[in-house]
Amino acid sequence: MEIIWLAVLAVLLVGYFALEGFDIGLGMMLPALARARERAGEPGTRQDHRDLLVAGMAPFVLANEVWLVALAGTLVGAFPALEGPLLGGLYPLVVALLVAWILRDAGLWFRRRIDGPGWRACWDAVLCAGSWGLALTWGAILAAVVRGLPAQPFDLAGLLGGAVVAAVFTLHGRAFAAWRLPPAGGASRLLLTGVLAGLPAAASLAVTAGHVLGHAASPATLNVLGFIALPVTPILVAAQVWVWRTFRPARSTGAAARVPSFF
Amino acid sequence: MNVLDLARLQFAVTGSLHFLFVVLTLGLAPLVAIMQTRHAITGRPIFARMTRFWGQIYVINYALGIFTGLVMEFQFGLSWSGLTHYAGDVFGAPLAIETLVAFFLESTFLGLWIFGWNRLPKGLHLACIWLVTLTAYASAFWIMAANSFLQNPVGSVLRDGRLVLTDFGALLTNPTFVMALPHVLGAGMFAGSFVIIGASAYHLFRRTAEQEFFRRSLRTGVVWAFIGSTLTIGFGYAQFGFIGALQPHKFEGVLPGLALGLMITIGQLTQFAVMLVLLPLLIRDVLARARWLHPILMLMTPLPFVAAILGWLTREVGRQPWLIYGRLGVADAMTPGLTKGMVTLSFAAFAGVLGLLALVDYLLIARTVRRGPGQADLGAPAPDGPGRAAAPALSL
Repeated sequence: MEIIWLAVLAVLLVGYFALEGFDIGLGMMLPALARARERAGEPGTRQDHRDLLVAGMAPFVLANEVWLVALAGTLVGAFPALEGPLLGGLYPLVVALLVAWILRDAGLWFRRRIDGPGWRACWDAVLCAGSWGLALTWGAILAAVVRGLPAQPFDLAGLLGGAVVAAVFTLHGRAFAAWRLPPAGGASRLLLTGVLAGLPAAASLAVTAGHVLGHAASPATLNVLGFIALPVTPILVAAQVWVWRTFRPARSTGAAARVPSFF
Repeated sequence: MNVLDLARLQFAVTGSLHFLFVVLTLGLAPLVAIMQTRHAITGRPIFARMTRFWGQIYVINYALGIFTGLVMEFQFGLSWSGLTHYAGDVFGAPLAIETLVAFFLESTFLGLWIFGWNRLPKGLHLACIWLVTLTAYASAFWIMAANSFLQNPVGSVLRDGRLVLTDFGALLTNPTFVMALPHVLGAGMFAGSFVIIGASAYHLFRRTAEQEFFRRSLRTGVVWAFIGSTLTIGFGYAQFGFIGALQPHKFEGVLPGLALGLMITIGQLTQFAVMLVLLPLLIRDVLARARWLHPILMLMTPLPFVAAILGWLTREVGRQPWLIYGRLGVADAMTPGLTKGMVTLSFAAFAGVLGLLALVDYLLIARTVRRGPGQADLGAPAPDGPGRAAAPALSL
């Protein structure tokens, strides 16, 4: 039973990196990608390009970021003895991660709520900064986890971890934008960068898997969790598939392309 | 203030902020679903407009529910790791189920509902908001189950210094859960309805162009307020039946005692006002035409929110000094090695960021109300004419 829950944890962690990775990467690259589109002679202002890019990822964000919420829940439920030492040991990094995450989300939710270039540009900057914060703290967190939670996680190894995650996320975000925006294409490249984005997470989990297994909840608790979560799993998968089917580029032409985006 | 006080204050502030937004989410979600269903059945445009307008207020509010909820979820591990160490096997299960089974689906379906407008087939789009409502209520169910375990730790035995789950069913038949869940859900309807009543009163008072829209909304709000306030009050008083036996000293402290008294005063008076004044005045739309009453209705909007926070203060402060009543003290549950500097920094960061965003969010809700249903962004249809098809400001 512990093995199954370790697998759940792995799927959620790697899935989060592979999926939310492109949202974060696109957020980081928002100014650069908008400038690139402008230079390429696409019609519209720089703000229009940013709107288009954000609208491209908007339908996916809610379905992607929730993988991390589920991951934290699984940690509390199935590996409770691990949750405290892990979050306590990563205290400043987890606080930074949460603040960055909230700011990135606030940028998304608020940017279109008031018309006017100043308001939107301001929240776009918050979105971009929050995305950078997310990538860098994730890198530092993975680096700290692999090294057994050092007292001072803001060191060279932490920075290096941040740089690696930032690099794979920006690649992934770029690939997603290319796949999603017209002329849409490059699904296999998106798949490849997805694997790449999931790699740092998978590697750090592989290093620590034995340690994680030793902190599983009692069999009774794991049974209850499995009994309730298992029947719902097909629905979870179906809901995610539904998102991808609904918002894939092929479905986004004609009238659907003119529907204003809420984010 | 020592590190324990700070950590408690941080939890109280972020928890109260969370609940301010969650309570409105719970109250508005089913109403928006009902409005959309009425549009699906009757095909009348007014119900589509109501769905979009109240739906937009619902989703703007929802954003802060997420932000504050994230902090809540991680705070257990950050500040209170003693809780998961001691009782993770029991307390962790409902929390894990909430995230996996309820919130995961809620967030996914909400994304489909918001961005699937004018893209998904009408029936499936309607199904999305009902699924969002269902999973939001499932979330409340599991969170309340977890919280009730802290009030009255059933279904577990102490083994080698840690609580072990022996009877999962007992968590779900816990009296502090069975009676508190409808109380909280009723409080959600109560709060949601008062936002609708207050916003409608504003437009009726200002005599804006949307009189029919807000007359109808006011009626819906008052009926919803009657159901919600009755549920809240009924299941509120019902809790006195067992609380004396389970937590005999719950209301003896200064703060819990005061908070309880004030909550009951606000809740009871407001419920009387709804039942004896607002509801009868719906006959022949007297309430919608009694313009002098509208400023009072607007001023009453915050009352259920204040009562809800007071209710949580009663429930949680009344549990002190226990984190798990009778089993684990709050001081013993604090993360080892937590320093005053760490908590001060995180408290400043969370309270500062969330407080600021909450303020922005409320201003945005007020702005949405002021602009009225004509200008709702949510569910805006594609503009007519092929000439604007290339406009990059649009979605894909």
